[in-house]
Amino acid sequence: MAGFATLSQAWMAWDGPAPAPKDAALDHTKELEKFLSEVERRAFRIAQVSLRDEDDALDVVQDAMLKLARNYSAKPSAEWRPLFYRILENGIRDLQRRRAVRKRLMAWMPGPKEDPDEEAVDPLENVAAGGSDAPGLLMQEQAMRQLETSLRALPARQREAFMLRNFEGLDVAQTAKAMGCSEGSVKTHYSRAVHTLREQLGEVW
Amino acid sequence: MNEQSSFEEHGRRLFEASVENIDMRVRSRLTQARHAALDVAAGPRLRFLRLPVWSSAAGVTAAGVLAFALWVGGPMGQPHHAQPVADTQAGLEDLELVASSDENNAAPMEMLQNDIDFYEWAADKTASGDSGSIG
Repeated sequence: MAGFATLSQAWMAWDGPAPAPKDAALDHTKELEKFLSEVERRAFRIAQVSLRDEDDALDVVQDAMLKLARNYSAKPSAEWRPLFYRILENGIRDLQRRRAVRKRLMAWMPGPKEDPDEEAVDPLENVAAGGSDAPGLLMQEQAMRQLETSLRALPARQREAFMLRNFEGLDVAQTAKAMGCSEGSVKTHYSRAVHTLREQLGEVW
Repeated sequence: MNEQSSFEEHGRRLFEASVENIDMRVRSRLTQARHAALDVAAGPRLRFLRLPVWSSAAGVTAAGVLAFALWVGGPMGQPHHAQPVADTQAGLEDLELVASSDENNAAPMEMLQNDIDFYEWAADKTASGDSGSIG
């Protein structure tokens, strides 16, 4: 009975729910879901700019999500963003390397040479029919395509620095973590990327 | 410096607009990918919670297979008795009636499991041609 008395006293003193391990795990899962839903579309577009292929971009984003969830979900949520983009950039680089090898092999093979990067893009294909702001959307699409073309012409590290800093809004320290280099290198890559892009697009924009 | 800032801002706006214009197919696949990742992050704990869902389905399926074996082939380990095609066909139709319930209504299968001795005995009787004494 003494035990019950102690227990009831404890209940009287209790003024809030103690964080049960199960609840904490659910909160963590919800936090991860929120993070992934925030970054997934932006990550897809970043991958698409680099890879020029929708399905490849989806694959590397999915892979990055799985790897983050499997290996780093227990880490503090503040660390997820640079880790996620590091995984993503590694995935993009791996895929580009595999493509380069495949392209070299294909060059030795007989038959028609196809380059998926050279497919024609219809600037009107993504403009909603009959939209009230169709000309504005078209101009926006064209401007983005020009930016993408110029980004693809940049060295990979400059492109990464620009997309992570400008598109994703990572600060210098986060970008350095995501790129696996020093903060000084990030500043150099970013500065050169902006300089080159402005030279190429300044007149068009 | 201001020109550079406006250049950067313009690029950011274009990117944001392109993110907003991502089509439904891609959005759907991204959602699926997110759920798969969350499933991995949840680990065995949440997967364990799902166990009863598939295990009940597996139980019903296993009961169905057992009933089929008893009904058509007789008890395992005994030689298979040749049966007239019509009898076998009727047995299959009866089995379909019993097994036609879905997972949410597994009562017929439970009945089958509860009276398994009776069905075993009935199958033996049918196989030995002594069908007259059954019901």
